[in-house]
Amino acid sequence: MTAQTTDQAARVVEQPRKPFPWGKVVSYGILVAFSLLYIGPLFMLINASFKPLADFFKDPTGLAASVNFDNYTKAWELANFPRYLLNSAFYTAVATTVFVLTSVFVAFPIARGIVKGSGALLTLYVVALFLPAALIPQFQLILNIGLYNTRTGYILLFLVNAIGMIILVNYIKSIPRELDESAAVDGCGYFRFVWSIVLPLIRPAVATVTVLHAIFIWNELILPTIYLTEDSLYPITRGLIVFEGQYGSDWPALAAAVLMLMLPMLILFMFLQRYIIGGLTSGAVKG
Amino acid sequence: MAIEIVKKSYLFGRGWKSWTPVLLLLPGFGLYMLIGFGPSLATAIYSFTDATGVRGAPINWIGLENYDEFLFRGLASRDNLAALQRTLIFMVVVTTVQFSLGLLLALLLNQQLRGRTFFRTLFFLPVVLGVVIQGLMWKLFLFPGGGPVAEVFGAFGIQSEFLGGAPNEAFVWVMVVQIWANVGITMVIFLAGMQTIDETLYEAARIDGAGGWALFRDITWPQLTPAINTNFLLNIVGSLQAWQLFLVLIGYRPGTQVLGYLVFAEGFGQTTGSVSGAFRQGYAAAASIVLFFLVLILGLSANWIVQYRERKYLG
Repeated sequence: MTAQTTDQAARVVEQPRKPFPWGKVVSYGILVAFSLLYIGPLFMLINASFKPLADFFKDPTGLAASVNFDNYTKAWELANFPRYLLNSAFYTAVATTVFVLTSVFVAFPIARGIVKGSGALLTLYVVALFLPAALIPQFQLILNIGLYNTRTGYILLFLVNAIGMIILVNYIKSIPRELDESAAVDGCGYFRFVWSIVLPLIRPAVATVTVLHAIFIWNELILPTIYLTEDSLYPITRGLIVFEGQYGSDWPALAAAVLMLMLPMLILFMFLQRYIIGGLTSGAVKG
Repeated sequence: MAIEIVKKSYLFGRGWKSWTPVLLLLPGFGLYMLIGFGPSLATAIYSFTDATGVRGAPINWIGLENYDEFLFRGLASRDNLAALQRTLIFMVVVTTVQFSLGLLLALLLNQQLRGRTFFRTLFFLPVVLGVVIQGLMWKLFLFPGGGPVAEVFGAFGIQSEFLGGAPNEAFVWVMVVQIWANVGITMVIFLAGMQTIDETLYEAARIDGAGGWALFRDITWPQLTPAINTNFLLNIVGSLQAWQLFLVLIGYRPGTQVLGYLVFAEGFGQTTGSVSGAFRQGYAAAASIVLFFLVLILGLSANWIVQYRERKYLG
């Protein structure tokens, strides 16, 4: 009995101590160092937004003396940000809705091979990544049908998204075909089948495509620069660049404006991260 | 019916009913042809014309004139070729750094570390914020008169104007921001690839006494092939076509442009930094086609390398 206990005690002592986790320390070192490049600009932005202009130029990096929101009210009053936000929200909501709804009815027959030449149709979307930018003929089209500098014309530009279509097609392929058969046997029509049976089943893919497409529209800068010349039509991206052009030397006000306008995206990202990352990596790792 | 578009296997009715899927497909597909695919192809046609941005102005066929001017005529062509060269440098540097850094970050974050979600979210954040906010953030971060980066550089005795400095200097900083902004995508694609690797492969190799490097070389790298291929192709094509950060960070400055920016600036009269120049859309379309050939050649080469790797590792 005593011998056994000593034996056990000896074994405990003999057990090698856990080696110092060098690997983890180095990993953390690299990650923390790298994250400074991400926290730094964000912190600089927040810090600058609290500073009076004179303080900023005296010492741009020093900590703000106090948290005050003067720059925020100033930026809000200087430019028509509520209007820009409303415009962005309107363009994003309308274009995303129309795009997603029309796309489901393109993706389903392609994924199922219902129409002849489905493979060729899909190829038309796949090659989009490599094709030249549609910029110039698109402009000629919108100009000549008289939709230049209009909301309708601007929204029209965002009703296509090749990557979104590919994500939808790939996802629909994973829905069992037996479902189509049993629905057809029960006398369900095509539209009702896609609308009330397929659509709910592909919700994850629809969510991903919706979020990706919405982010793309919300962040777009070039198309509003080309197509919209009236301040009252600007989305926030264009509004911010114009604001920078006018008040660019007032860094604290600009920082406040940037922060206010990135807030919606930030909140959206926190809640929908799963869909965003899921969408970007779907199909990327299957080979 | 004379033309059968719907296949015989269609389940939801015969006769006129079989036209439903076609009718429902048309709006979405028609829009894609009208606004996406069609205009992309039409770029080639416009490149042979003298189109301007004026509504109703006559458009004349001028053959290869635009290409001749873009590639061979005078000082402008020398600038254009310099822009072409710069596009290639941008592609090589951005692809190499973004690919390696993305892989490194994914390897680090694929371990059981506390706070890995936080790091992953942080590195991915710029992707969601978009070019305007990415650009404005870095303009402030690189503020030459005492900004954080200027302070750090100053501590080493380096004076720099950063984005406002010499063209080459500004160009380097745009590459830094480009990589900073997009390394998150590369990282999450690598991470997703790593999560598909069978853990038992590692266990078996560890029992055989394999160390960290051997595990990476013999298991992670070959098993990661699909994610490596995706990132490689996306990085090459993406960096050749990227130019919007130039617009936000430094504007259209001589000695810094890449081809994508050139297309936009020539086509929409922004060569002087504001809308005042002529809209030379035929000429810009030709530049766009030159860029397209670059993307095509390098994309196909990359694809060839990718296929070769797949044969080697996946049989």
